[in-house]
Amino acid sequence: MDILKVFLYILVYPGLLFLFIYSTFVEWVDRKLYAKFQNRMGPMHTGSHGLLQPIADFVKLMAKEDIVPDSADKGLFNAVPVFALAAVLASGLLLPVWHFAKGIESATSFQGDIIVMAYLLALPTFAYFLAGWTSTSMYAAMGGVRVLTLLFAYEVPMFLAILSPAIMTGSWRLADIAAYFQAHPLYMLFNLIGFAVGVVALQAKLERVPFDIPHAETEVVGGAFTEYSGRKLAMFRLLADVQMVVGAGFLSALFLGGFPGGLIPGFIWFVIKTLAVVFILSAMRAVTARIRIDQMVAFSWQYLAPLALLQLVIVIFIKGYMP
Amino acid sequence: MSLKLGAMLPEVMKHLFKKVATVPYPFRKLTVPPGFRGNPVMDPNLCIGCQMCVRDCPSEALEIKKESERTDEQGKVIKRFSMTFYLDRCSHCAQCQEICPKKAIVLNDQFEEAAFDRGALKIIYK
Amino acid sequence: MGTFILPVGPQHPALKEPTSFRFLVDGETVVDADLRLGYNHRGIEKGAESRTYVQNLYLLERVCGICSNAHMTCFAQGVEKLMGLEPPKRGLFIRCLMGELERVHSHLLWLGVAGHEVGFDTFFMYTWRDREIVQDMLEMISGNRVNYGMQTFGGVRRDLDEMQIKKLLEGIAALKARTPYYLNLGASEPTLVARIAGVGKLPLEKAVELNAVGPTARASGWKSDVRQDDPYAGFGEFIPFNIVTDQGGDVLARVVVRAKELMETYNICEYILKNLPAGEVRVKAPRKVPEGEVVSRVEAQRGEDVHYVRSNGTDKPDRVKVRAPTLANWPSTLYMLRGGYVADIPIVMAAIDPCLSCTDRMAIITDVKRGSEQVMDWETLRKHGIEFYRKRGIKL
Repeated sequence: MDILKVFLYILVYPGLLFLFIYSTFVEWVDRKLYAKFQNRMGPMHTGSHGLLQPIADFVKLMAKEDIVPDSADKGLFNAVPVFALAAVLASGLLLPVWHFAKGIESATSFQGDIIVMAYLLALPTFAYFLAGWTSTSMYAAMGGVRVLTLLFAYEVPMFLAILSPAIMTGSWRLADIAAYFQAHPLYMLFNLIGFAVGVVALQAKLERVPFDIPHAETEVVGGAFTEYSGRKLAMFRLLADVQMVVGAGFLSALFLGGFPGGLIPGFIWFVIKTLAVVFILSAMRAVTARIRIDQMVAFSWQYLAPLALLQLVIVIFIKGYMP
Repeated sequence: MSLKLGAMLPEVMKHLFKKVATVPYPFRKLTVPPGFRGNPVMDPNLCIGCQMCVRDCPSEALEIKKESERTDEQGKVIKRFSMTFYLDRCSHCAQCQEICPKKAIVLNDQFEEAAFDRGALKIIYK
Repeated sequence: MGTFILPVGPQHPALKEPTSFRFLVDGETVVDADLRLGYNHRGIEKGAESRTYVQNLYLLERVCGICSNAHMTCFAQGVEKLMGLEPPKRGLFIRCLMGELERVHSHLLWLGVAGHEVGFDTFFMYTWRDREIVQDMLEMISGNRVNYGMQTFGGVRRDLDEMQIKKLLEGIAALKARTPYYLNLGASEPTLVARIAGVGKLPLEKAVELNAVGPTARASGWKSDVRQDDPYAGFGEFIPFNIVTDQGGDVLARVVVRAKELMETYNICEYILKNLPAGEVRVKAPRKVPEGEVVSRVEAQRGEDVHYVRSNGTDKPDRVKVRAPTLANWPSTLYMLRGGYVADIPIVMAAIDPCLSCTDRMAIITDVKRGSEQVMDWETLRKHGIEFYRKRGIKL
């Protein structure tokens, strides 16, 4: 029975099948919101109200011709998208959605799983750099270099931001942090600055406007993905969607109180909270322009990192006075 | 003017509740105003075969051919002309409509001109 | 990463039309820039020699889609001078109205494109939604959304009735209410200002030395506008007009100049619609044009547009030459691009409002090594092209 549960966990919910289907749904929500903000319709035709459009895009890309540049390093070029997708799907398993038993640590919920989650979410960024570098195309190389510069800018504020709930609850386990905020909902307000920094850093990690500098269409054509086509490009696009779902789930578990109640209520809470974070991300995408890479580095070290440090100071202060 | 963080946010949020500005073409089509320059339509009953339209067309999209000639009871010669119109060459400038002395050419309101076969774009008005 | 040559074009998402740029790039800084034109050459000047004047009206209108009315006006008023015709006052007013409405449509389009080049797609969608108001107005007057076909020798081809004037005034009032929002946004949205302020600086002396035209020159503080220097179509004598300049010299100044020009244009349109004189809109024009040559200038949306026409007494012109404004702006653009960032390339290029269809007329490319010019006929050129690609491994 346990073995069956493990397989269901990995393959169905919250594993492969659920992440795949839910991430296409989240992409649909993002596209419809973006369109509504811009006074237009978004996908309407494929499926009822365009719900099947992201799946249709994925299937179309899988069916296209897969071209590998002559001078590219073929082994690494082909392996990078698979490797990145595997990392993000693995990090999805660490989300505290369905607990076999609350107080017991298991292979998917243990002390320090925040760090593992942050590490697994950082792997795709290195994969993007490798993708750009092994393409040996000028635009791809420039895109790859920009990806690393961007990582240098947002990764530290993101780590500082996810530190504060961990320090407040005194635990490095996602399920514990979520349970703490479910027990004391008002303490979520103390972490608002950290939540804001986390959302901005997540937007940068997902490489969406205003931080989509590495694959800025009008400057470096496609950035790291310029030479990718067909199945590998489909995997990169799927990877971006899954990263959005996992990142939103990560932030909800840390700052918004997690997904209590077991299987069915946990699923409903997961959908509600991740959609709330996606709404904020979509609004951010609609109201800003793309900034330059040097402005991004200046912005994150002048504003984001100090704000995250301020949040840490607040949390340490509060912890001193909390019962 | 000072900088405001998220300056566009109020306007963007208002649009969540507004009607969309786009139309789901081709399931719903827009109407064109009167005077729209669509495709030329010729009435063979009015044409006198002066060929002014052929001379003035900038894209050589018109040809006028004499179809028949007959003499009626009073001895008047009545000629009938046909127009071959190449839709794929037309630039919709309405010069033919303007120059025709008998107002035999009128531009209609058609703007959907795609076809799979080039022969379908050659229209003959007899 | 060292210095390398970054090609932008002939096909690139930053370009709306094909141009070939070669940038010498050091990391993220542009060290040097070079330009090759000619990808949109269609042989219009040669085609104009074998068509009658009436046919040439429509050929020259299609030099460019966005400045179509400006080209048609320039050609029509030049040939009218040769014919010795004077259009009636109502015709002049409607001619001016078409030019100004086209300016509205082009500047709203440019605001959207500039937004898209810096990744601000919402701005792009909003300005193009408002542009639909002026497109509907133009379709109502002339029967088409671009290539209006309104100008002819001796006046304009269509008249306005009371119903249309009322609808036009309503449309202009709606646009007048919406446009200040974009001007404010351009100055207060921090990410947009970060991308366009201080970028692509062109000081006044350089603008004069490199002969920038249009809003590019006016944004550096140079009061250069054909509507003031060489008035046409009723400007100056019947229709009041104020020139709009800014002192910034960067892309933000160009945004401000175009947005303020929009407001000025709305005032001009309202004046024309409220004071439209009665009468005819055109006089009859002869088919054959007397011998002579004429230079005609018009302030197109992008700057000063020059047409030269030489006639030889028949109904076909001897020579037509078009100097479109974007050709005059390329040297200034190369100056602006040097020393900037790679990320600034799209917005600096978009800031001059480039129109390659306007630019590409006949050009002479000199071989620097030999210092000579070479003329190839069609067969030699074809063989040269096949050999060129075969050497690079592409079989044709």
